[in-house]
Amino acid sequence: MRFRATIENVNTFFRIIQAIEKLQKKCIIKFGEDVMSIICNSEANEGGIQVWSQIKVDSLFTSYRIQSNASNVITMALSSEALLATLKSASTSSKSAYETEEIVMKLAKKNDQAVLSFEISGMTRQGRKVRVAHDVKIEVMKPADVANLKEPMCPEPDVHIILPPLQKLRPIVERLRPMSDFLAVRANNNGRLQLSIRTDTVNVDTEWKNCKNTNKASTASQDTEPDSRDPDELFSVLVSTKSFFKFLNSHVVSTTTIACICQNHCMILYVYVGDLADAGGVLTFYIPGQLIDE
Amino acid sequence: MSQNGDEQEEAQLPPVLKASVHDVRYFAALLRGVNFVNRATVTIAKTGFVVVVEEARTLLGTAYIFADIFDEYTYNSESAAAPQNSQTSEPEEEEANSAFEIPLNTLIECLNIFGTAGSSGAGTGAATGKYKKWKRAGDDSDQEGDEDNGQGRRSSNGGARGIEHYFGNASDKATGMRMSYAGSGFPLTLLIAEDAAGPTTTCEITTYEAEPHLQLPFESDRIVLKIILKSSWLRDALSELDPSCDKLTFIGNPPPAAATNGKQRAANGTPMLRIQAAGTFGSTEMDYPNDRDVLESFECTRPVSFSYRFGHISRTLRALQSSTKTSLRIDDEGLLSLQFLMPSPKAKTEAATDAFIEFRCLALDDELV
Repeated sequence: MRFRATIENVNTFFRIIQAIEKLQKKCIIKFGEDVMSIICNSEANEGGIQVWSQIKVDSLFTSYRIQSNASNVITMALSSEALLATLKSASTSSKSAYETEEIVMKLAKKNDQAVLSFEISGMTRQGRKVRVAHDVKIEVMKPADVANLKEPMCPEPDVHIILPPLQKLRPIVERLRPMSDFLAVRANNNGRLQLSIRTDTVNVDTEWKNCKNTNKASTASQDTEPDSRDPDELFSVLVSTKSFFKFLNSHVVSTTTIACICQNHCMILYVYVGDLADAGGVLTFYIPGQLIDE
Repeated sequence: MSQNGDEQEEAQLPPVLKASVHDVRYFAALLRGVNFVNRATVTIAKTGFVVVVEEARTLLGTAYIFADIFDEYTYNSESAAAPQNSQTSEPEEEEANSAFEIPLNTLIECLNIFGTAGSSGAGTGAATGKYKKWKRAGDDSDQEGDEDNGQGRRSSNGGARGIEHYFGNASDKATGMRMSYAGSGFPLTLLIAEDAAGPTTTCEITTYEAEPHLQLPFESDRIVLKIILKSSWLRDALSELDPSCDKLTFIGNPPPAAATNGKQRAANGTPMLRIQAAGTFGSTEMDYPNDRDVLESFECTRPVSFSYRFGHISRTLRALQSSTKTSLRIDDEGLLSLQFLMPSPKAKTEAATDAFIEFRCLALDDELV
């Protein structure tokens, strides 16, 4: 098993992990030949939010080399906190004491412990060379366990809608969060999106009218189906406010976000990293619908 | 489904209150000034409304919000709308008001849903000369378009006035609001929007029947100490105190007869106004000089010294911070009245009345302390 890569786009990698870390303290990363997948599927996770992301290797790494017996795929479980701390020290910010020049990430074994080793070489302001090394403990997953990782099954979504910028959504949901544990998300095929809460003391509905719909799924299947539906029909799903707020933490990385609603079942959110046309990757959030008696 | 039913009913009876404003920051700042207990009693009248909050049956916070801070304000007396409610024998004043209780914090959070109604720390009303030009006319016209009820409209002179804003907020965006209350048993409905292109939020906040609250009448003929000063002088003094203090004492002495406007303090060393704080870790004393620049007016009939719980006085800080002037009065039994003048963003161009927030606080019983 061999793995070695140079991290070219450390700030993007950092932001992706930042969004993941807010969600879950441990995550699974599957390095493939072309695609890196970050998976959060822990059942312990409150509200049952899951992330299945696919990031193109080219968008983050260069000199990427991978070899393994499992058709050149390496799957590991690691602490997202530790990875975030490592990337933070590697990312170039005004605060850091040195300018990062190169970051090499590789798989290694130290004292019988598998680690993902990060070697950062940089230059201080005084022009001296620095080398910083971080080892993040990992657990390489057995192919049998990897095979058990399954993306959640979802029916064909009723509606696809492009969300307003997540930075705009975040303050709103932040206000709603202390008011209610559940948030209803509704959308139709006519550009309308609603977020609403219902409690004994207050009902709050926020509505956007000019969002864009996409129907990338329906073009793949039959084209006749969408026409038969009333575009103004609202589809709704009730999700945990906390889960939705956690998803909004991905605003640090998002450019375009598409929300799909499977009525009363779940919500799927595609967060595109980088431009939509030339996306370096996509983080897919699954938020299960909550059923409460009304 | 039930919402449609409500709307039909609303169409029959004119709502008790209808108000709109294109920037909620001032309104929110006034509410925030008394936001120390969640449940507030709101009394609506023709001239505006009064928000009362009470704590520990000792402290009463009241925000007086006048109708002219709104672009539009219409009040229809509830008893007139419902004639079967024969209250003709009641005095007029009682009849003309409607009161309800409301979760104040929820109301403020709703106003600030887009994060543009200003945060609690942003109240810099005292920092004069730092005005913000604020989004111009046209953007609120679409919100007023469907308005057919013209009687109480205040916005007839709208459009031309250059409204400057006091609150030095980071964001230039303002939140506009339209509020309506259909009457007892109905929720308070808020329609909030940032701009025409953005989202709109509808909030329905449950109202509760108003319960009688603490009455602390303050009679002017019993005043023993009356001071008017710039809020910043009091704010600086109070913010200097350690939060662990538990008792705060106001000491006032009549000014020496000879040197009423003199800049020198009287030679005998008795201060005109002293604030004394005592806590577990020590005590602090602060004297105000007898200076017109500091104490704009000072009336004291006899030496006074009354103590208050610091926790109660510190409740006033939020209102104090965004106010410009403070009137501090104490009566012969130690009842403290603090009135904070809240500078209205419209006051510069219009003859609008500045709203104010008043706190009344009972003195600690000296023998028990």
